[in-house]
Amino acid sequence: MQCGDTMKNNSMLYSDFLIISYYTGYIVLGTALLMAIPITTALLLQEWNPFLDFVISMSISLIMGFAMIFFGWKTRSNAMRVEWKHGFIIAAISWLVLMLLCSIPYLLSGHVNSFLDACFDVMSGFTTTGLFLTQDLDHISVTLNMWRHLLTFVGGQGMVVLALSFLLKNLGGAYKLYVGEAKDIGLVPNVVGTARVIWKISLIYLIIGTLALWLCGIYIGLAPQSAFFHGLFIFEAAWSTGGFAPNTQNIMYYHSFPYEVISIIIFVLGSLNFGLHYAVWQGNKKELFKNIEMQSFVITSFLLCTFAVVKLAQLGIYTDAVTAFRRVVYNVLSAHTTTGFNNVYALQFAQEWGDFGILMMVIAMLIGGSACSTAGGFKGLRVGIVCKALVADIRKLIAPERAIKVYKYHHIKDCVLDDGTVKNASLIIFCYVVLFTITTALGLFFGYPLAASAFEAASVTGNVGLSIGITTATMPDLLKVQYILAMYLGRLEFISVFALFANIIGGLKNYVQNR
Amino acid sequence: MYKTVKTLLIMLLLSFSLSAQVCAAAAIEINTLIEKSQAFDGQTVTVEGEAIGETMLRGEYAWINISDNTNAIGVWLKASDAQKIASFGDYRHKGDTVKITGIFSRNCTEHGGDVDIHSHSLEIIERGYNKPEEITQVKIQAALVLSFFAFLTAYIYWRRIH
Repeated sequence: MQCGDTMKNNSMLYSDFLIISYYTGYIVLGTALLMAIPITTALLLQEWNPFLDFVISMSISLIMGFAMIFFGWKTRSNAMRVEWKHGFIIAAISWLVLMLLCSIPYLLSGHVNSFLDACFDVMSGFTTTGLFLTQDLDHISVTLNMWRHLLTFVGGQGMVVLALSFLLKNLGGAYKLYVGEAKDIGLVPNVVGTARVIWKISLIYLIIGTLALWLCGIYIGLAPQSAFFHGLFIFEAAWSTGGFAPNTQNIMYYHSFPYEVISIIIFVLGSLNFGLHYAVWQGNKKELFKNIEMQSFVITSFLLCTFAVVKLAQLGIYTDAVTAFRRVVYNVLSAHTTTGFNNVYALQFAQEWGDFGILMMVIAMLIGGSACSTAGGFKGLRVGIVCKALVADIRKLIAPERAIKVYKYHHIKDCVLDDGTVKNASLIIFCYVVLFTITTALGLFFGYPLAASAFEAASVTGNVGLSIGITTATMPDLLKVQYILAMYLGRLEFISVFALFANIIGGLKNYVQNR
Repeated sequence: MYKTVKTLLIMLLLSFSLSAQVCAAAAIEINTLIEKSQAFDGQTVTVEGEAIGETMLRGEYAWINISDNTNAIGVWLKASDAQKIASFGDYRHKGDTVKITGIFSRNCTEHGGDVDIHSHSLEIIERGYNKPEEITQVKIQAALVLSFFAFLTAYIYWRRIH
């Protein structure tokens, strides 16, 4: 009997492997095909070293992708059904496999000190964080810059979303894969259709945003070709709330107020829920005012910006309105939308902003943008739900005992504020806080000051990308690994990664018991 | 005796004036400027670094960015000065190494709170140059072999689905 159970378990485990391998293979294939874009860029600009780097990387990724598909070929006959656990594990595992494969061009470029640094930069790109360890950024090829920004742009929409949109037609368990990547909004009844709508929205903004930045770039004195690439890269980083930029000085490179204003508009739009974009596109403009996430974002942004502006004016750092807007409001909004663009130096945060300014930034980074957007953090939706639940509980306490009232919140449609929703929102916020605390503690362990450790921890946990100076190639390897893990967990919102860990532990347990 | 004292005094004065000149012209690292921005705010400073990116002309003036490997900073200078720079650092070029003397601001009121230097003078220390791409044979061979296997697996996949 026990032997029969063991055989059944092993057979299930094997079929799980086949399903995971098959779909992960397609996601790898999608990313491999994405490398055609930097390859084309290299050809057009005649950058031959990067061209070869990407040919090598694309070939390895294609071989790997096809090998995984061949391994799980039985899944194709639909004999095996995709379950929830598969969706979560595929999302979690594909991000890890892609991190390794997408690091190859970085490593071959010679601009990173180690493979770990390359993995750090790729995970930072995928998770739309924006921290980087790439060396001598001002001298890297346009091709590698194209790849860095493409990764963050695609990562913002989701790697699984990409595969669902273009590769996996008529897929049975598509919704489970989609949810595995921490996106759970249905814009149209069909999940593949939803993935395509997400891409359509992003591509339309890509054209408008790049055009606006291109023209502004020419206006501020960049050469037309260079203005185009800067415009494209900054759009990709802003829309995906990524925060990468083609130069070390980030947004400071441009010395331009109009360029900053356009980038603010793009990253605020990027931090909004795709459902909200779709509703507004469908003509439902009232949603902008009624949506709980918008309300939450407006309130928290206003409060955080006001407190930071007042405090920094009090300290005598930024005293006039234009300066306060450009240096304080810009950076607070960049933190709140989890973009990570900066137009002050990391050292300035540490030395000039003071503990209160840093605290405002930490709160902004942890709250983050909207659910089902390109942003990270707790998400405005969850903060809104928990705040509403708190108000509802207080109201219940002071209301007459016989009074029964159903509390609601508005997110695309009216939703009942039930205990399950509040519990889920609170749990995810709790997970973020625990991750933030552990990451801060590790920074302290390595000797960094509390304020700096907390700032950097909030930045990686919330997938922001602002740095106070800890993230450098010389920081301890263990801290780099923890930051990679924090970015990964924060972006996938824990559940998928927990499912992966649980299955690995379960598999190991089975293996030990069978022996 | 009087002559000796006079000569000594002149030598002393000369040595002081020379050392003062050296101090004024000694380049400060950009990161040090930012680290000690409060102390340097409004002071005339000299920095030396590679011109990176490109010139951004703004009327009679222009922005350039320079990097000295410790950090990078924006320099606001006359367009005519900016035009002296022939090469800017990027993937294909090593930029001109320039020495800039100007007023450092940690919160420039003219430029919306920018940390910048308003240049008085620009000196080209070393001309930049084109950086040729060095492609190794191993890389070419690896690319060829791996592409072959990638096409092979793609062909097998295509055969399987048809």
